[in-house]
Amino acid sequence: MPAVILPQTLDELLDLKAQGHTILAGGTDLFVHMRNKKIQPQTLVCLDQLKDKGLREVADTGDEICIGAAVTHSRLIQNPLVQQHFPVLIQALDTLGSPQIRNMGTLGGNIMTASPAGDSLPPLYVLDAQVELAGKNGSRRMSLSRFITGPGATGLNPEEILYRIWIPKQPSYDLHHFEKVGHRKSLSIAILSMAALIGLTGDRKIRAVRLAWGSLGKTIATSPETEKRLMGTPMDDPAGFILAAARIREEVSPISDVRAGADYRRQVAGNLVLRLCQGPLEPLKQGPGAV
Amino acid sequence: MNLISKTSPSVGASQARPDALNKVMGHEKFAADYYGPRHLWAGVRRAGIPHGRLISVSTEAAKQVPGVKKILTHKDVNGSNRQGVIQKDQPVLVDDRIRHCGDALALVIAETSQALETALALISFEYEALPGIFTTAEAFQYGAPLIHPTHPGGNCLLSGQLVSGKGLEAFEACDAIVELTIDLPRQEHAYLETECGEAVYEKGELSIVVSTQTPFRDRAETAQAIGISPEKLRIIAPYCGGGFGGKDGITVQSLLGLAAMACPDVPIKMMWSREESFLAGPKRHAASLHYRLGAKQNGVFHALEVRADFDTGPYDHLGGAVLGLALEHAGGPYRIPHAAIQGKAVYTNNTIGGAFRGFGVPQVAAAMEQAVDLMAEKLSLSPLDIRMKNAVQKGDKIPSGTTLKTSTGIRECLARLKAHPLYREADAWKKKAPAHMLRGSGMACALHGMGYGPFVPDTAIAKLELTKQGRFKIYFGVVDMGQGNGVTFLQMAGDLLNQNYENLELVLPDTGLTLPCGSASASRSTYTFGNALIQAVETMKTRLTQRAADSLMVGDGDEFCFIPGHLRHLPTGREFPLAQLAALLGPEERITISRYRALASKETVTQDTALQMHGIPHTVFSYTAHLAHVEIDTLTGGITVCNYTAVTDCGRLINPDLYQQQMQGGIAQGLGYALYEDFITDKGRLLTANLSTYIIPGALDIPPMALSSVDLQENTGPFGMKGVGEICIDPVLPAVANAVADACGGGRCRQWPLTCERMLEILTIPVCPPGADMNRSLI
Ligand SMILES: Cc1cc2nc3c(=O)[nH]c(=O)nc-3n(C[C@H](O)[C@H](O)[C@H](O)COP(=O)(O)OP(=O)(O)OC[C@H]3O[C@@H](n4cnc5c(N)ncnc54)[C@H](O)[C@@H]3O)c2cc1C
Repeated sequence: MPAVILPQTLDELLDLKAQGHTILAGGTDLFVHMRNKKIQPQTLVCLDQLKDKGLREVADTGDEICIGAAVTHSRLIQNPLVQQHFPVLIQALDTLGSPQIRNMGTLGGNIMTASPAGDSLPPLYVLDAQVELAGKNGSRRMSLSRFITGPGATGLNPEEILYRIWIPKQPSYDLHHFEKVGHRKSLSIAILSMAALIGLTGDRKIRAVRLAWGSLGKTIATSPETEKRLMGTPMDDPAGFILAAARIREEVSPISDVRAGADYRRQVAGNLVLRLCQGPLEPLKQGPGAV
Repeated sequence: MNLISKTSPSVGASQARPDALNKVMGHEKFAADYYGPRHLWAGVRRAGIPHGRLISVSTEAAKQVPGVKKILTHKDVNGSNRQGVIQKDQPVLVDDRIRHCGDALALVIAETSQALETALALISFEYEALPGIFTTAEAFQYGAPLIHPTHPGGNCLLSGQLVSGKGLEAFEACDAIVELTIDLPRQEHAYLETECGEAVYEKGELSIVVSTQTPFRDRAETAQAIGISPEKLRIIAPYCGGGFGGKDGITVQSLLGLAAMACPDVPIKMMWSREESFLAGPKRHAASLHYRLGAKQNGVFHALEVRADFDTGPYDHLGGAVLGLALEHAGGPYRIPHAAIQGKAVYTNNTIGGAFRGFGVPQVAAAMEQAVDLMAEKLSLSPLDIRMKNAVQKGDKIPSGTTLKTSTGIRECLARLKAHPLYREADAWKKKAPAHMLRGSGMACALHGMGYGPFVPDTAIAKLELTKQGRFKIYFGVVDMGQGNGVTFLQMAGDLLNQNYENLELVLPDTGLTLPCGSASASRSTYTFGNALIQAVETMKTRLTQRAADSLMVGDGDEFCFIPGHLRHLPTGREFPLAQLAALLGPEERITISRYRALASKETVTQDTALQMHGIPHTVFSYTAHLAHVEIDTLTGGITVCNYTAVTDCGRLINPDLYQQQMQGGIAQGLGYALYEDFITDKGRLLTANLSTYIIPGALDIPPMALSSVDLQENTGPFGMKGVGEICIDPVLPAVANAVADACGGGRCRQWPLTCERMLEILTIPVCPPGADMNRSLI
């Protein structure tokens, strides 16, 4: 059993991190990895007694909302600022794990795990989130999509911690949408997921759109080309959506694993785009037949 | 103090089980909760290869690990080193041949779980690899290796056939024939409490506290396997943290016994991890089924052909008995005058196939009930009408040839289902499907026989004691694994004796205290023990009232009436404390014992003695009719079961809440079987090795359920009851299958479970006549 240290201040925490110790936030990923012997840390640094507010607060800084890395999913779901500005993130966190997991698990932990199936990630991508990394020599900010470099891999330096997540407010989007395809309705790792933000003109044509898919590639997948095909499309006109769906299916080369095959993932990556269409998609009732 | 202690137990009332509060508070001790003050850990090195000849096991490195006490291999086993319920074909520790990845090679006893783990990893072994058999078809290929070279049937553990009427010839006289082929997966029990126990060997006596469904059989089986005489072995079975058939047979018992005898005087604990439970525990048999059903133009069934192959894995476990029950139930609760039903249980190098709630019936019902719907569609009858037309009544024979002599309520179930709002309003509901969704409604029926069949005596021995304090103790030997039979025994005895819960006490199964009662399985626990208990209570009542009459020098026993804690003398109104009466009686007089053996059928359904021994035919059957409403997301293939209803004939309800709980649990487990649980293996190795990839349904996946009972009286049952523990799961998969087919124009799944991926594939295939390709109508 590893020793557990409970630092009180950010400086102590950063000292310990610089010594190479492993951070324990909610433990909902860490303990799984320890049980599987993927990692065997000697010492864990637990964030529970930290007095520093930055790690545990959600703050409105004007143009941005700033979320501490150690804020749990349950607290984010209940937070009025997040509810007001980022419904897409709330929708995603609502599907993450179960009440127990959401009570323990943190946003920072979900990001650091950097799983392609991490449910907070597609929303954070479409929201253009930035991460703030803190070390003994100060902190730096970078975009989340640059920070995550592969499954389980990030640009975090060994002596750094993930400190805060910064998300710009999104006045230009009218529609926030998240969908997760899983094998069951709770405690389900995404076979596939998609986050979408859509801005509409007065006559309900798409004027701005952001899409991101989870579990489709090595990291969260985005597709400017697919987004481009949706620009100008009326929300109730299937044609543009069908074109966009075809595009994402062409672009990706998903994995096959015990959860699902690549063909299924490719097909459904497009189908989730079709869900956005508010018009009738009758021909699709018996399956889109694409690919 | 229990909240319910002042209430009086009554049969027919929904009363809380006495263990409920204790379990919620965490006070009830399961086998997993037994820790000696100073105990050792035992664990097993498993093969990890599917098939090979063992040459040697090397334990030297492991012995050097600090904290390791002993390491045992087959050479240290003094008994037969073989276990199994019917065929003793499974080694406790492998001595010659490894037959699946979960086989045990060496047993380590250590002071800490860390030392145990380190030592297990250091054990190595030499073997000669043998080609493996991973499908039932491979088992019969030319040149296939024999998994048990001395087994007379080769790789076929058991095969059998039941032919009635003209058999296959009768298809010539059919106006319509439908055909269906399906492949069903293994299913994991996934109980909360994995296989575990604690053992201690002191002064030549071995005592094992274990999570089991079968304490008395365990004693005999373990004793001969490890070489101790049965009277020196005591098995104690606390409330079990889930069984579902997975603990119907030896799990940790023999290993713990060996460990304890090697390290006497210290308690030894073994607890399988979830992964070990997946690997080494038995599963529901994977099965391949081929069905052909023929009918006359008017919808009357005429002929049935069944071929059913069960993958029993490397050992019998209960594979032969599962096959037997499947064959007997293959034609469902219908009259079909001509049938040819054949099946095999086949040895492979996959995980062990064994008992699992339903015991072969869910597999055959899955095919039969879909065939019935295909026929209904072909003849343009409603699925309900065609079932009603063919449903059995008392006195009929089912297609396997068994005569139904006892209560037979499938028609009542169907009639009640027809009147249910979910049935009547199904079409309106389907029309309201939201965008991208398809909705369908489907039904399925089942019957399920109780008990062991004609050959193995289905007995229970109840013991009842009036304590010196004037309370009653019920000694029962049939495990309560969560199904709640314990409270039904209190209700029966309490009702007959008119005693409050505070005057009643249960003594849980323990070969040292209670008497043999058979297994907690086969939908028999409450039925068989209940019957024994009623006799014991009646004897006790007579004895006590007579003794009271004698000592008061009044007329006769019938002048007395039992009231809580007392006997009342009716002519005078005087009351005598039971404690006072108990003081007049010697210890033997305060105990009554009664044995009950369930009715064994005298009918000759088959001349095949192997099939008779494996349980054919039964005498008492429960019945059920289920209806599922499903919604399919055409964009993802995701299936939601929106509503569910079932009407069941399981006799009179002893405790309506327990009935609801059994039905709900069985249906939930059946939905897991139908839609979620895919036990994926590759050459005998598990790809879904634990609950993170083997998906069981969660609370949000379970629909609202409306569950009712037709409440017919079963005259042979205690207070008119019959078993409900298994019938609840039997027709769930086909009800879902039929609802899905209804939703998507006849699309049917061949390889189950019906995951979203398979569903999307079915939706993407252009749908031809009902049931694409394999599953089609022939004429
Ligand atoms: C049963 C179960 C179900 C789950 N379901 C889902 C699901 O549906 N969707 C989903 O996305 N995830 C799911 N998860 C995964 C997990 O719950 C989430 O990823 C969660 O957000 C992790 O947060 P945590 O605080 O528990 O992280 P921890 O386990 O504490 O940490 C994870 C990793 O991040 C590091 N770390 C944590 N915080 C910091 C920091 N501030 N700076 C630097 N490093 C840090 C840790 O050292 C560790 O390596 C599930 C897990 C379980 C056990």
